[in-house]
Amino acid sequence: MDTQSYLPVQPGVGMGENFLSLDDIVLSHERLPIRTECRFPRLGFLEKSSDSQDIPEGTKMELPLWLSKGLYEKKRRVLSVELPKVYREGWRTVFNADPNVVDLHKMGPYYYGLGSQMLHFDSPENPEIAQTLLQTFIGRFRRNMDSSQNAYNEDTSALVERLDCLEKALFTSGQSGLNSFQSWEKGQASQLTASSLVLNYRKRKITDLQP
Amino acid sequence: MSDALSDAGSDVNQDDAQEDVMTPAELIAKLEEAWLNEKFSPELLENKSEVVECVMEQLSHMDANLQRVKKGDAKASIHRMEIDRIRFVLSSYLRSRLRKIEKFFPHVLEREKSRGEGDPSLLSPEEFAFAKEYYANTETYLKAVALKRMPPNLQTVDMLKAVPEPCLDSFVFLRVKDRQENILVEPETDDQREYVVDLEEGSQHLMRYRTIAPLVSSGAVQLI
Amino acid sequence: MDSSEVEFLAEKETVKIIPNFSLDRIYLIGGDLGPFNPGLPVDVPVWLALNLKQRQKCRIVPPAWMDVEKLEEMRELERKEDTFTPVPSPYYMELTKLLLNYASDNIPKADEIRTLVKDIWDTRIAKLRLSADSFISQLEAHAKLDNLTLMEINTIRAFLLDSLNCMYKLRSNLQPGSSKGQFTDY
Repeated sequence: MDTQSYLPVQPGVGMGENFLSLDDIVLSHERLPIRTECRFPRLGFLEKSSDSQDIPEGTKMELPLWLSKGLYEKKRRVLSVELPKVYREGWRTVFNADPNVVDLHKMGPYYYGLGSQMLHFDSPENPEIAQTLLQTFIGRFRRNMDSSQNAYNEDTSALVERLDCLEKALFTSGQSGLNSFQSWEKGQASQLTASSLVLNYRKRKITDLQP
Repeated sequence: MSDALSDAGSDVNQDDAQEDVMTPAELIAKLEEAWLNEKFSPELLENKSEVVECVMEQLSHMDANLQRVKKGDAKASIHRMEIDRIRFVLSSYLRSRLRKIEKFFPHVLEREKSRGEGDPSLLSPEEFAFAKEYYANTETYLKAVALKRMPPNLQTVDMLKAVPEPCLDSFVFLRVKDRQENILVEPETDDQREYVVDLEEGSQHLMRYRTIAPLVSSGAVQLI
Repeated sequence: MDSSEVEFLAEKETVKIIPNFSLDRIYLIGGDLGPFNPGLPVDVPVWLALNLKQRQKCRIVPPAWMDVEKLEEMRELERKEDTFTPVPSPYYMELTKLLLNYASDNIPKADEIRTLVKDIWDTRIAKLRLSADSFISQLEAHAKLDNLTLMEINTIRAFLLDSLNCMYKLRSNLQPGSSKGQFTDY
């Protein structure tokens, strides 16, 4: 039975983020290459390569996504965000040629999530980025479906190691459908097992006892 | 003993308040319909408390009858099996509603708040109490573990924004019970055009929940 | 949905049994059953048939389609056609498993039947994946899925629906401004 004691909040995937999603929180810490467009007074300690008190205009540095998004404004230029190279034209050509050859885990692992978030920063390339994200997903769908629906009772680490986080989550849901069917077919579904809640409770009790 | 059990199958809705008279078998079919619809719809559906209450009544009526039957009666064991099956559907139905309430609580409560005077309620009184309590508990918890340590201007979280809304654009599988004509299918891309489909009785489809949501509540289609 | 819940629904299908006991009509909440007389065939739901069978109170009459010749024909047709052919029962897979597991002594050529049904199932699942892939790659908004059974849908449901959801969100990226999540301020 699909009784889960904990229902995680799913990532927002698109341009929106889910406040309570752990995936989106981790995603918001991805670092982006930026260039300061004005002086950042007394924030020099953030930039470890120099000793000055301020961050001067024109400094190139890395900031996490959440901070870049917070500081970015269309009207007043505080900073400009550079496109990470997986989203630039060179890589887009590779993705469009054959999305299946790319190791999205190495390039990502939040390839789709971060790519969607990049659309918040005004760039003339945005339409192409969005299009490539979608096409890459579609292009990789078949292989992802086949591997998640065929791998039964085997080590799946080789199958998922090149997947982006989003694809990994989909792989897992494909596997749960397969496993549920297979265990039903074998008659394992009719065996009663202790609820995971009970098992976890026991574990917790043991740790509670330890000083 | 057969006297005790033979009237169990008689009609539930003896009171005239109920508009349409349903046989117990129809009642169970209604419950199973509601169960599957609730399982597969992305949003919380209108509550079916009257069905739930009638089924509970049937079950306790049958239970009471079985109390009077001596042990080892062949019929009684069959009745018990049936009761167990109905109880399973009933609790699975109620559980899937609770799960959705937990998932969407701020939105569920918001809809309940903005509901017009005569509109039917989304939640049963018990579910409403549960949702309110769940909201309060979540708020208290967030406050205790994090918010009270934040600067004063950051001590509130807007739950309506923080908790994702149900995605009505999700796809669902459905079977058509009453033929429907001219259902508009919106295009997926800019170069596609919208078109209409007829949903023939008994046919099965995969399409967006938003398009057919009204047909689910009217009972014209069944989610599968 | 869990596979065992689909099986639960399949257990409501009726099947013919030949009881070896007598019992008056039973008035269940879901409808009347019986009367039961030794040697006289009677229709009951599968859940009851299996229970009676396990207590050695009846013999189960396999449904007409659970027959090697008929299933062979179906398998050939299923392999030949590109679309899903009509199935003999909306719960053919579940009923095969249930009846063969609990009443194989009442079903002639049980092993052959098991293999045939599995072949039909595999062919259909391969078609299902093919159509899922084209549904995704063509960005379709609607698909007609007649003859597909609940158990078949169920094996791909979570994966396909979750993928479609992701795709929907990636697609709404193409229309900037339509997404409301921009700079959401909590």
